[in-house]
Amino acid sequence: MNSESVWLGPLRTPVRWAMIVFTALALVIYAWLILSLFITDEPLGVHEMIRPEGRMTVILMMTTLALALLFAAIFTSDIRGTIEVERTGPFDILSLVLGRLSMIGITFIVLVMFYEVVARYVFSGGTLWANELSLWIAAIVFLFAGLYAMQQRSHIRIYVIYDMMPRWMQKLSDVISVSLIWVFAFCLVWGGYADAKRRLLRLEGYGSAWDPPIPGTVKTAILVIVVLVALQALSNLIADWNKAPEHHNPADEIDETEIENIRKTLEVDKN
Amino acid sequence: MVDIGTLSLVVLLLMFVLLAIGMPLGFASAFLAVVTLYLKFGDDILFRSFGQGPFNVLGQAVYRQMVNYVLISVPLFIFMAALLERSGIARDMYSSLNVWLSRTRGGIAIVTSIMAVIMAAMSGIIGGEVVLLGLIALPQMLRLGYNQNLAIGTICASGSLGTMIPPSIVLIFYGLVTETSIKALFTASFLPGFMLATFFIVYIIIRTQLDPDQAPLPPQEPGAPEGNEKRLMFLGFVSRFGMWITGVLTLRALFFTVTGNNVITEGVDPIFLGMVADIPWLIGTFVLFGVIMYFIVGMERTAKGWEMGYGLIAPIVVIGVVLGSIYGGITGITEAAGMGVVAVFTIGMIRREMTFEIVWDALLRTLKSTGTIIWVTIGAAALAAAYTLAGGPTYVANLIVGADMPTMGIILVMMVVFLIMGMFMDWVGIVLLIMPVFLPIVVRLPAEEIGWLGSVDARYVPIWFGVVFCMNMQVSFLSPPFGPAAFYLKSVAPAHISLTDIFRGFLPFIALQLLALTVLLAWPPIVTIFL
Repeated sequence: MNSESVWLGPLRTPVRWAMIVFTALALVIYAWLILSLFITDEPLGVHEMIRPEGRMTVILMMTTLALALLFAAIFTSDIRGTIEVERTGPFDILSLVLGRLSMIGITFIVLVMFYEVVARYVFSGGTLWANELSLWIAAIVFLFAGLYAMQQRSHIRIYVIYDMMPRWMQKLSDVISVSLIWVFAFCLVWGGYADAKRRLLRLEGYGSAWDPPIPGTVKTAILVIVVLVALQALSNLIADWNKAPEHHNPADEIDETEIENIRKTLEVDKN
Repeated sequence: MVDIGTLSLVVLLLMFVLLAIGMPLGFASAFLAVVTLYLKFGDDILFRSFGQGPFNVLGQAVYRQMVNYVLISVPLFIFMAALLERSGIARDMYSSLNVWLSRTRGGIAIVTSIMAVIMAAMSGIIGGEVVLLGLIALPQMLRLGYNQNLAIGTICASGSLGTMIPPSIVLIFYGLVTETSIKALFTASFLPGFMLATFFIVYIIIRTQLDPDQAPLPPQEPGAPEGNEKRLMFLGFVSRFGMWITGVLTLRALFFTVTGNNVITEGVDPIFLGMVADIPWLIGTFVLFGVIMYFIVGMERTAKGWEMGYGLIAPIVVIGVVLGSIYGGITGITEAAGMGVVAVFTIGMIRREMTFEIVWDALLRTLKSTGTIIWVTIGAAALAAAYTLAGGPTYVANLIVGADMPTMGIILVMMVVFLIMGMFMDWVGIVLLIMPVFLPIVVRLPAEEIGWLGSVDARYVPIWFGVVFCMNMQVSFLSPPFGPAAFYLKSVAPAHISLTDIFRGFLPFIALQLLALTVLLAWPPIVTIFL
């Protein structure tokens, strides 16, 4: 983990410490919550977690968790993954940090599902919140992953004709693509703004026992993310403006690191 | 404003133009959704007041996809596959299978196919599989002097089975788009997938029997068991493994009995092999396996066989967890994928292979692939919603159904469209963009005219069509000029094997895939047998 810093520079060490401290704090409070399941009469469950209503423990739990996640995402975004493209603009930082949050989110989904299946199947008492929690996390994961894919320029495209164009035509095509993305983002916000605002202000719930504000938050998140994606597209366009003409072939899609890793796995203890 | 015919034509043409200039598929569809709404409503309705109006359907359509519980299974299956390819499970499985079949003519090719089927049943993604098989089996086949085309074709064709045998990410998307039961799709695709794999294996056997030079046998290793001895050892392995499985299932059933989970209640499906009545059967099978092991095979042989077959256990456990969760009625598709991740991770921990870096790397890959797929999902959802609002699918369906063409003629035209599009486009784009238009047509065709030798119940037409589509996509993985399997193999094959060589090796296997497709079209009941 001593690789080159992507953007934090000298701030890396303090961020790392912040991550460790807040994770430790969050774990301690979590342990306390687990313990209080057995020793208090009115333990705090997942139901209360999204309704703090002045309960100090809940506020502390949620704050430390949020900070732990945030610093973990910031810290890990500073380490370039083997399959990632180089950062090309200041806007990329936001996409990378949100992408890292999304990765952590995926593990949370797996854990929540595992908990639910074990609770339901082995202890024959399912939870009221697991499905909705994974749904909520997943919606955010999907949106952040979309932003991340835009930053990584990882798209399903057809390059056959694009590759045959001279560079100026490629540039023109890119300008058209980005402007059309802006048109879409504009129309999406135009049509969805009132709806999203109304639901956000009411923090509209999912209408279930746990009642997380999924419509309230996700509808707004969609609009925000699509605008961010449009910005990211513009940032990519500017960054790639002076690149040499690109030629793609399907072999580019294959990533050498992955193959190298698999090769290594296969060679281990093949004695 | 504009009539629906012109609108459809404009959208179609614009789609071609935008894709030609290299616009990402997802954003092109998203923009065309805007165009569709514009042509339908005109600007005074659309832009009358900020914050509302028909454009809201775009946001609604995206929101529906974002909170779709089944869609969560996609990143989870990708995550699982990414973890799987970094564990040594595949390597050990290969050595185990190889031990049993090394003295058979064409053995390594057959092992490759069987291994591909097992891997396909573990996860639903291709790519990693072709790479893995290419790294494990190709060097060995070439060293032994196997026919190069045979070796290449076997690896890529079998490696593509991942999306034909459940769980399959192609069928998950098909189910999402068409609102068909994914569990039913999985059940229906099981037999066709198996049939295709059998075609491959039979073809390998026939080809190598006719011309033994294409698949020379490896030299006999001194001291290695042979013939009957080996068969007995295999029997010993199976019995011992069977004892484990029945033993665990018995404990499970006893656990349910103790906790009272399996009390027979009206309206609640009985737990598969978990009811009190199942216990004697389970114990009986357990004892039977024990008897075979002790008296027929003998303990020493069993122990040797166990050692040889050890690598098969981890994959079977993973399959048991994923497919067992789905078919055992324990969980839905999404949670089964989550359990698959946990199972692969746990096995990796037991094998001491999982490190933080492997998990992190797998997550990064998952994130990237998910992000790539999600834009196509969002764009296609927006376009489908806008086009449906404009009355598009009904219009197209009326146009085609009213054209008085023979039913099978329409289906065949669709197959040609799939095959051609599959040559240039990713399956996910095809399923998301074409299916909302094609399926309404297919369900309105007279069901009794579908198929030449047998017909399919009208209820099952969407399921049948999904499996047919999946088979089409099998061809698209291999078809030149962009068949992804070829490029995956190229990246791991020795340098002297050119892309042309690889595609040449595919030809007989593409023919086999088309044969399997023909079977599905001619005799549709094959998909409904297990339904």
